[in-house]
Amino acid sequence: MVSKKVTLVNAQGFHMRPASVFATAMGKYSSNVTIKHNGNDVNAKSLLNIIAACIKCGSEVEIVCDGPDENEALAEAVGMIESGLGE
Amino acid sequence: MLKGIGASEGYGIGKVMLIVEQSLEYTPKEIIDVDAELERYRNAVDVFCDNTMKQADALKESAGEKESEIMMGHIAIIRDPFMGGEIENLIKANQCAEAAVEQVCKMFIDMFSATGDELTMQRAADVKDIRDGLLSILLGVSEVKISDAPPGTVLVVKELTPSMTAGIKKENIVGIITETGSQTSHSAILARALEIPAVLSVTGAVPHFSGGELVIVNGSAGEVITAPSEAQVEEYTARREAFLRERRELENFRGKATADADGSEYELFCNIGTPKDAGKAFEADGEGVGLFRTEFLFMDRNALPTEDEQFEAYKQASLMMRGKPVIIRTLDIGGDKEIPYLGLAKEENPFMGFRAIRYCLKNRDMFKSQIKAILRAAAFGDIRIMFPLITAVEELRQGKELVEEAKADLKASGIEFDENIQVGVMTETAASGVIADLLAEEADFFSIGTNDLTGYTMAADRGNADVGYLYSPLQPSVLRMIRRIIKCGRAKGIPVGMCGEAAADPMMIPLLISFGLTEFSVSAPSVLKVRKNIAKWTKAEADAITEKVMSMTTEAEITAYLKTVV
Repeated sequence: MVSKKVTLVNAQGFHMRPASVFATAMGKYSSNVTIKHNGNDVNAKSLLNIIAACIKCGSEVEIVCDGPDENEALAEAVGMIESGLGE
Repeated sequence: MLKGIGASEGYGIGKVMLIVEQSLEYTPKEIIDVDAELERYRNAVDVFCDNTMKQADALKESAGEKESEIMMGHIAIIRDPFMGGEIENLIKANQCAEAAVEQVCKMFIDMFSATGDELTMQRAADVKDIRDGLLSILLGVSEVKISDAPPGTVLVVKELTPSMTAGIKKENIVGIITETGSQTSHSAILARALEIPAVLSVTGAVPHFSGGELVIVNGSAGEVITAPSEAQVEEYTARREAFLRERRELENFRGKATADADGSEYELFCNIGTPKDAGKAFEADGEGVGLFRTEFLFMDRNALPTEDEQFEAYKQASLMMRGKPVIIRTLDIGGDKEIPYLGLAKEENPFMGFRAIRYCLKNRDMFKSQIKAILRAAAFGDIRIMFPLITAVEELRQGKELVEEAKADLKASGIEFDENIQVGVMTETAASGVIADLLAEEADFFSIGTNDLTGYTMAADRGNADVGYLYSPLQPSVLRMIRRIIKCGRAKGIPVGMCGEAAADPMMIPLLISFGLTEFSVSAPSVLKVRKNIAKWTKAEADAITEKVMSMTTEAEITAYLKTVV
């Protein structure tokens, strides 16, 4: 299991479009990917769960990846969030 | 006549097409052949995605890229592995596909609605739309074909869903009437994007009609005229033509500089209340933000927003304006704006009490954190600070001292900020008008808030029916106050703007040009109208009108005269 803390920098936070892009990207990995936010574990492969978590700009989240390709998954997840989720 | 919310301007005259929702009721049954049911569900999803894709394409044509993304979002939601997984799990537990879809959708609708976050709550409407779409497919209920509506149709529907909107052919639908929705709902946004007059939230609209009858939709006033007389049809046909002509004319002013008939240029900014509004201001062709009210950050919550939270909001507004000027007014609470967690004592006379800059200067930590957030955001664009309700030079000085302290703190922490931020005064009290000459020595700019300036100068509450008649910026006293503020500011070489409603008033515009106003700040929908109104005056014409107005002694006389010239 690997994990890293990152801060959301895109202005609208995890709204529809970024959540969709992120969930799709995470769906490629066989590892479990979880976003820890405000004490909740959010399934990062589910767009709906990400939206329901209401993660706003400036929030710090922890990405936890567990599985055979956990390092690759974590690297991509962190990279995406740090670069503003394409916004 | 039926009343509702005018959510998309304009006039439409046409025949009613009633969209009655199909019943999506079913009898839940236990499934024996799970594989067959899974197959049935998956086929329904494929059909749904296929339909939605077509709707998205249609919407892209009629309303634009951004609106069609709503439909693409529906595909992303239904293809969500978690949602699909949950639905399939329920089917595997012998539930029928209808019940499985309904339960899982309900879970998300409840979850999204409970967040209290506006953006997330809107997603609940999307999930409802998806649920209805899937259930119709599963139940074999054909959806009403809005795309078949003949030319001259007024749609009457309980709730306009994005998927319905996608079927709208702009050339055939002349008006929309719904029972639900608000200014900011999807239906309103889409109706505006399609430029179809719409009246939303008309109680009992659907049962009122039987279909095929003639009706007038007045989207500008939020009214629906049922069974119109011939004279009304004639009147509204003329109004519709005039409206469409004006809309075309206004579009000619998009992207142009704001200038009077002599070619002298002015700044034309927008008033906003949230960072999101900055997007609207930019789309409306605003050249900047002349008033960013920051109260929204402090309202509807239980504790003060953090400096970082504020910084993000201010920075976002600046980014959405692509670096054009943004004037941020520091917190203006008290008066009629209450914030429970601040524990402000009830006052006998709140408008003359502990509010705005007075409150902020006594709550220095809170005020400094707002100022620091503004200073930091100013590193990303042209952001300026404006203090509200200034009545004495000391208040401006103390505010500026706090700005310097905040700069020193940021410097000590090595945080980036704008060293040369401009600090201005919102001149909205009678006192600030009278000492405008003194304030102009120490302020970087003025912005006249005519709403409060009128109230404070006339000592009249416009909401009070007995004294409301006194409340007019065209009162000789208020006009003299405005003239004085502009002259004092200009004499010291600082820009003077106006961010009250009067800045968009066609009767005020020639006076403001003549007085020497440099910046008009108006609501986003008024931008093009104001630009057009400024363009029609030469300085000499404006001066002549103003000279006459300033020689008149009563508001009635002034109003009557201005009506004849504008």
